[in-house]
Amino acid sequence: MSKIQVLPYDRAFECAEEETILAAALRQGLYVRYGCKHGGCGTCKSLLVDGDVEESGSTFALGPSERAEGWILACASQPSEDCVIDVSSMELTEEEFLAGDQIGSLLTEVETIQSLTPDIRSVRLRLVEPDAITFVAGQFVNVEIPGSEDVRAFSLANPPSEADRIDLIVKLLPGGRFSQLLAGTLRVGDRLRVYGPLGQLKIRLTYRRILMIAGGSGLAPLLSMLADLAHKGNTRPVTLFFGARRPEDLYCVEQIARIRDAMPVLEFIPSLSDAWPTDWSGETGLVTEVVARRLPSLEGYDAYLAGPPPMIDAAIPLLRARGVRARNIHFDAFLPTGGP
Amino acid sequence: MSKSLVEVHEKAKSYDWDFTSGDQHPKYPTRYIIPKHGKDPFRMLIRDYMRMEAEKDDRTYGFLDGALRMGMADEIQPRFMECLKLTLPDLTNAEFQAVAGTGMIITCIQNQELRQGYQAQMMDEVRHTQLEMALRRYYVEHWRDPAGWDATQKSLYQHPGGLVSIALFQNFNTGDVIDSVVNLNVVVETAYTNILLVAVPQIAVANGDHALATTFLSIQSDEARHMANGYGSLMAVLQDDRNVPALNEALERHFWHTHRGLDALVGWQSEYGATVRPWAYKDQWQEWVVDDFVSSYLDRMTDLGIRPPERLGKVAHDVPWLHHTLGMALAAFWPLNFWRSDAMYEPDFEWFENHYPGWHDAYGAFWQAHRQMADPSVGRIMLQELPALPPFCQVCQLPCAMPRLDQNEMRIVEYGGSRFAVCSEGCEWIFTRWPEAHAHRKSFWERYHGWDLADVILDLGFVRPDGRTLIGQPTIDQERLWTIDDIRRLRFEVKDPLQSV
Repeated sequence: MSKIQVLPYDRAFECAEEETILAAALRQGLYVRYGCKHGGCGTCKSLLVDGDVEESGSTFALGPSERAEGWILACASQPSEDCVIDVSSMELTEEEFLAGDQIGSLLTEVETIQSLTPDIRSVRLRLVEPDAITFVAGQFVNVEIPGSEDVRAFSLANPPSEADRIDLIVKLLPGGRFSQLLAGTLRVGDRLRVYGPLGQLKIRLTYRRILMIAGGSGLAPLLSMLADLAHKGNTRPVTLFFGARRPEDLYCVEQIARIRDAMPVLEFIPSLSDAWPTDWSGETGLVTEVVARRLPSLEGYDAYLAGPPPMIDAAIPLLRARGVRARNIHFDAFLPTGGP
Repeated sequence: MSKSLVEVHEKAKSYDWDFTSGDQHPKYPTRYIIPKHGKDPFRMLIRDYMRMEAEKDDRTYGFLDGALRMGMADEIQPRFMECLKLTLPDLTNAEFQAVAGTGMIITCIQNQELRQGYQAQMMDEVRHTQLEMALRRYYVEHWRDPAGWDATQKSLYQHPGGLVSIALFQNFNTGDVIDSVVNLNVVVETAYTNILLVAVPQIAVANGDHALATTFLSIQSDEARHMANGYGSLMAVLQDDRNVPALNEALERHFWHTHRGLDALVGWQSEYGATVRPWAYKDQWQEWVVDDFVSSYLDRMTDLGIRPPERLGKVAHDVPWLHHTLGMALAAFWPLNFWRSDAMYEPDFEWFENHYPGWHDAYGAFWQAHRQMADPSVGRIMLQELPALPPFCQVCQLPCAMPRLDQNEMRIVEYGGSRFAVCSEGCEWIFTRWPEAHAHRKSFWERYHGWDLADVILDLGFVRPDGRTLIGQPTIDQERLWTIDDIRRLRFEVKDPLQSV
């Protein structure tokens, strides 16, 4: 048992053995900002002022320089002694901190399940209670696995203007619990408990051009953002790179074309990395290689990335070298939660 | 604050009633609808506040005493100190105008929570003027070339560079009171003081001036509260959505004007007043103005109807060049300055080209020529090489050569039977929308049309105690200083460019 003191509130709570700081805070009716609960989004980033922690699980969202400055992820940190953490950067009032978990709980009903590619499914959930969700394009929700307390994080693919539903894009993973659910028992009409919205990914209000890079099922938050931008009459130039392995792995292409009709400043550049037909006139190679070829200078861009960690790891140094400021690179890593 | 003090604070705010013994109408009417109550941005009693501020003053003045004993003024890079002779009084002018501005706000806003905050801010602004004047006294007494420092505020009001500050900060206390809040608390203090009072101290330290850094950081410690005043005022006014169009218009106006004035002046001090440059100015602007102010602060208010400035993209386009062009103009005008200019040398050329690709093509030849004409024996000044003097913008008062000489966007507007030069579409919009705020300022060139340059300098009083050596010089290290006789030999007559348009 370790004691966690929380600044700037001058409050403390107990953390049990093998319990993360986030889990302990929520269990005891306190609130700190959080998102995916498995190290992928960085929402629960806190400053470790004193003491020591052991990392449990993924800490993808924590950069080396942040780690060196003493930042930790509350969802992936188990204290090895008494600690002092500072959560000032979360900008919570003391009342909010003491008010307990404020993430919404939503009851939904499965409306449709569709195949987008051989291993990607689209799941539309209709809101039951409450009947609408207020969110920002780019955010995600945690979907509860029926019969358990486990959750899986998925970005909303629909724009905020379509508030009566939650569209998910799900990659089927061998052995994944949600994948098994989709392959087996989940049926239209079933009810699912959803928590959210979560996460801080969103289109930043600036004058800069917008660069989006998507890989795999990572298209979901970017689709929501694009539809939202079109809905709001955006005039900033947007370039979307979408990388897939084979032609059959590209999806939502018609939907993107419709968005482009409504928002002509959108340029869509699909690319295939593994195999392509002889009449394929689009780009080939890894999506980051395509970005490198097409955009020699990226000064004056805001970048939004969503896809598997290797894609994000490859994209960030490229974007930095081409002139995107570190602070203007925003990403949502698709981290498989893993395991049954 | 203990609970009893919280109660006292709340009680103090409750001493508010609609009195009948006097005229209830504000001295200056506002076009906004202001609610009677808002969120208190201050949450502190003036009594406790003053104690805290006194402690800050003691620390800053104590530092100046220590700096004096250690001879720290000798460590300052001359280039930094000379540019500061313009920019420090520019800032003090802002503080003076803010004192008057906060007084106007207190008079006009019938909202106790906000009044409380602005009352504290008014005292802050007075404190800042005192700190800056004490700093100036330190420079007068201990900087190796005090010429100019002894008359900076008076000089400021006569110099074209000073008029940039006068034109910008008049908006703190003229026009609609909420527009003044938008300019003072929202745009200048929230968007720009981090650049001015956090980044500039870093540059000061890198160039040997710890006294300025200490003073500015003490001032900056008050700015968060002023930002809270602005935020509290905006949120109060946004309670009524009829205020939204006027707020967006005020934001558009003051964002543009503040950009012209501060991006030019602070950028110039940061790069042309520095030998060591820890930041490129354009990066500071991206960090604090775009990513903090627009992308975070304004974004939070978009649900309430606030829009980002329409000219944000144009501002972003101009920011990398404005201060270079101002630097070139101020160096070309060096005989009219109350500080010593400096030449730019090879290390400066390299740094500028690395951080602003294209700089060399746009400015390199000018600085080479400037260097070659530094010695009085050459008998030429840059003003003689110009086909005509550049007019000053009737709105922002920058020379009409912006953003770059090869991209000059100057235009002429007519109002009340007179012609005026403006530097850009943004300033043209402001002039056309609020002509009475800008049409009555006499231009510097108009004032001296037909005068010999030597007589202009004497009239301005920009000579040293011997009565003949100029305060302004083209470099900080030439062997012989220019005198009024050298200037008179040039037979250069000032011609108001607008007289020939």
